[in-house]
Amino acid sequence: MVAIEVPEVEYTDYTNRQLVAIPLAVLAVALVILGGWYLATGAPADLGVEFTGGAELRLSASETSDLEMGTPEARARLEDPDTFSIEPSSVQYVPGDETYIVTFRPEDLPQGAESGDFGDIAGEAEDAGFAVTGEDIVSPSFGSGVQTQALGGVVIAFLGMSVLVFAMFRTFIPSIAVVISAFSDIVIPVAVMNLLGIEMTLGTVAALLMIIGYSVDSDILLNNSVLRRTGDFYESVQRAMRTGVTMTITSIAAMIVMAIVAWIFGIDLLRNIGVILAVGLCADLMNTYLLNVSLLRWYSFEGVRR
Amino acid sequence: MIDSIKRHWRVGLLVVAVLAATVVLFAPQFAPTAGAEGIGADDGANGTADGLTNLQFGLDLDGGTRIRAPLVGYTATDVAFQGDDPATVASNVAGELSNTTSTSVNAELRDPAEGGTGAVEVTDTNVSETEFTAAIEAAGYTYEGVRPGVTEETREATIEVIEGKINEAGLSGGSVREIVDANGRSFVLIEVPGEDRQDVEELIAERGTVRIDIFIPNDGNGTRNRGVVTQDDFENVGTASRGQSNQAYVPVSVVDTAPEGQATPAQQLQQAVSQADAAAGNPGTDGWRCTADYAESEEPCLLLVVDGEVVNSFGMDGDLLRSMTSGSWANDPGFRLTTGTAEGSFERAQQISINLRAGALPAELGDGSSSYISPTQGEQFKTYSLITGILSVFAVAGMVFLRYREPTVALPMIVTALTEVYTLLGFAALLGYPLDLAVIAGFIAVVGTGVDDLVIIADEVMSEGDVSSKKVFDSRFRRAFWVIGAAAATTIIAMSPLMVLSLGDLSGFAIFTILGVLIGVLVTRPAYGDILRMLLTDR
Repeated sequence: MVAIEVPEVEYTDYTNRQLVAIPLAVLAVALVILGGWYLATGAPADLGVEFTGGAELRLSASETSDLEMGTPEARARLEDPDTFSIEPSSVQYVPGDETYIVTFRPEDLPQGAESGDFGDIAGEAEDAGFAVTGEDIVSPSFGSGVQTQALGGVVIAFLGMSVLVFAMFRTFIPSIAVVISAFSDIVIPVAVMNLLGIEMTLGTVAALLMIIGYSVDSDILLNNSVLRRTGDFYESVQRAMRTGVTMTITSIAAMIVMAIVAWIFGIDLLRNIGVILAVGLCADLMNTYLLNVSLLRWYSFEGVRR
Repeated sequence: MIDSIKRHWRVGLLVVAVLAATVVLFAPQFAPTAGAEGIGADDGANGTADGLTNLQFGLDLDGGTRIRAPLVGYTATDVAFQGDDPATVASNVAGELSNTTSTSVNAELRDPAEGGTGAVEVTDTNVSETEFTAAIEAAGYTYEGVRPGVTEETREATIEVIEGKINEAGLSGGSVREIVDANGRSFVLIEVPGEDRQDVEELIAERGTVRIDIFIPNDGNGTRNRGVVTQDDFENVGTASRGQSNQAYVPVSVVDTAPEGQATPAQQLQQAVSQADAAAGNPGTDGWRCTADYAESEEPCLLLVVDGEVVNSFGMDGDLLRSMTSGSWANDPGFRLTTGTAEGSFERAQQISINLRAGALPAELGDGSSSYISPTQGEQFKTYSLITGILSVFAVAGMVFLRYREPTVALPMIVTALTEVYTLLGFAALLGYPLDLAVIAGFIAVVGTGVDDLVIIADEVMSEGDVSSKKVFDSRFRRAFWVIGAAAATTIIAMSPLMVLSLGDLSGFAIFTILGVLIGVLVTRPAYGDILRMLLTDR
């Protein structure tokens, strides 16, 4: 059996500036993407139905109709303008569950329709020969309330984490290093979500909060190893890295598997959580062992002497 | 024996936790009690058990409808009542509003000092905030502020009525409760297992005010005598039935009691019928014949009006009419609310019966969110999430084996992580917390953080060569534990906003992630340290 060994990194070959450049560049690119998204769409990410309002139908084969799922006919039937009174904004097929997920956006509601009144889309789908296995409807006004709450939740969680980290280490540089990498760990997945076309949902918000919890683990491990234990700086980093990389890669493996399986079965909530955590943990590897390490090195060799 | 238990108390604690979880999960004593969580249900609680274990499943995994919506209205706070009693205040304010009736304005006294202050609310969706404040001012009252929403009393009353409606409709296991979000807005959360959205919304969304009008033809110049019988005048409401010629109806009787000196509702109905009969030129010696379109009718009609809309119009047979005009009907004021023979009329009758029994909603549900999962889909989600969970655990196990290669380290690690999930399941059963997709995601997250911490313990303990003495082991273990504790604290801090915010299903995710971290830090992870010590140290 091939064993996974965490490779030793020759940090001495690189200056702090070189090490910091990569994560900071990635963070900058991510921030530019979010900024661009904000300018173009009015929100830093593509917001899902839960936040903007809208409707989502989950449709499978009906017992009374011989329409087969996954065939061009079924899709054509769903995209036929006569099928629904509101034009669907997306039709997505889930092969593992032989289901279609059809999404409706409030901006596609006919003129004069009451906001959030999506009519009898479930009935229309049944008339078209599908069985409705799931239906979600969120009115736009309700969604905007959810939006502020979710944002507030992430901000509070982040501040709480920051305060806790500062309280634990009581020194500025190591603490801020953790906070910055946690910030970057949240921003990068959101930018990647935008690029992959994954919408922000409640599941992704949960995943972002989870990243705050997960990503801090390896940072704390690193700081603890360097600050609280005697021994050579590079030895301490190496020791923390062996454990930390194992931890993070194990979690990434679990999340990738969860994302793939949930994607096959069309369980969006689990898929989103898996994708975001996997991306966030990858970002965390980079941030912890490039950004955090170099800040700590600067602190250990130069900062302490001041 | 006692000595070894003392030495391995951490493992002992884990064994106790696992045994306790087993008891809670499988012992019939802990089976979900019928109707404990749900309302008036004959079977099943808030979620339903799968039979094999005592676990309960939420709507995601069992199918059903969840509706979350605010109650519509405006409430003026700290209104100075100036010595008026609440009813007077309400009717004064209602008097200044042209587009609503007095029943949609309520006042609640909060503080009787200095002439009394309290809240005034309007629950009619036609009334805008500015109209409402203008009306309060025009009625001569001062107020502190106005907020969207209704008073606590109205909220509670509405929830009670919705519960009543769900009960009357015979839907088992439903639940209705109030949730408040971080901004202080309150919502009504309605969960009904097994039913689809359309049915639940029809049942609840309808405010359900029922009244009877009398139509008087007046030679083509028809007038309506509105509200001769209103909601509160009905009693002894029966269930929907079908009568002769397939007419659907609800048997009711009209209240025949009233304060001294006033006509009872039944007597008022008699009078109104007599007047209508006279006004129409006494056509009805053999009863009133009402045509399908009541506006075209040449003889008077009774109109059944639900939520302001005429649902059905019907005539009266001769016997009933004669007993009404002669005044003897009020002695036995039985009556049939007929909904007709058209398609859906029986459902109509059922709906009216439910509305009359449960009462009308004091306030309407506004824009919110609703979701529905069919029972078959829920069943599939159950299987899928089980597969997802198992495969994720395999991925973790695979990574751990690849990394350590040594079964003495890796195997206990996997087993410990699994007992963490098992103990959590026990907690879920004990709390009666229905499992849904978000909770499953929480379990997977717990396996992730759990194994992370076990990796920290293993690496720390095995660093710098073999551990042979217990003392070295203990000092290393303590060091590892500092990191684990710190990491656990940050996870708990990060997840806690989700527990408080009413972001729907996500509170389940947060609750179980936090519970899992706590169980991990307090029980399973220390036990893993002990197990590892037994396996690695000589003594």
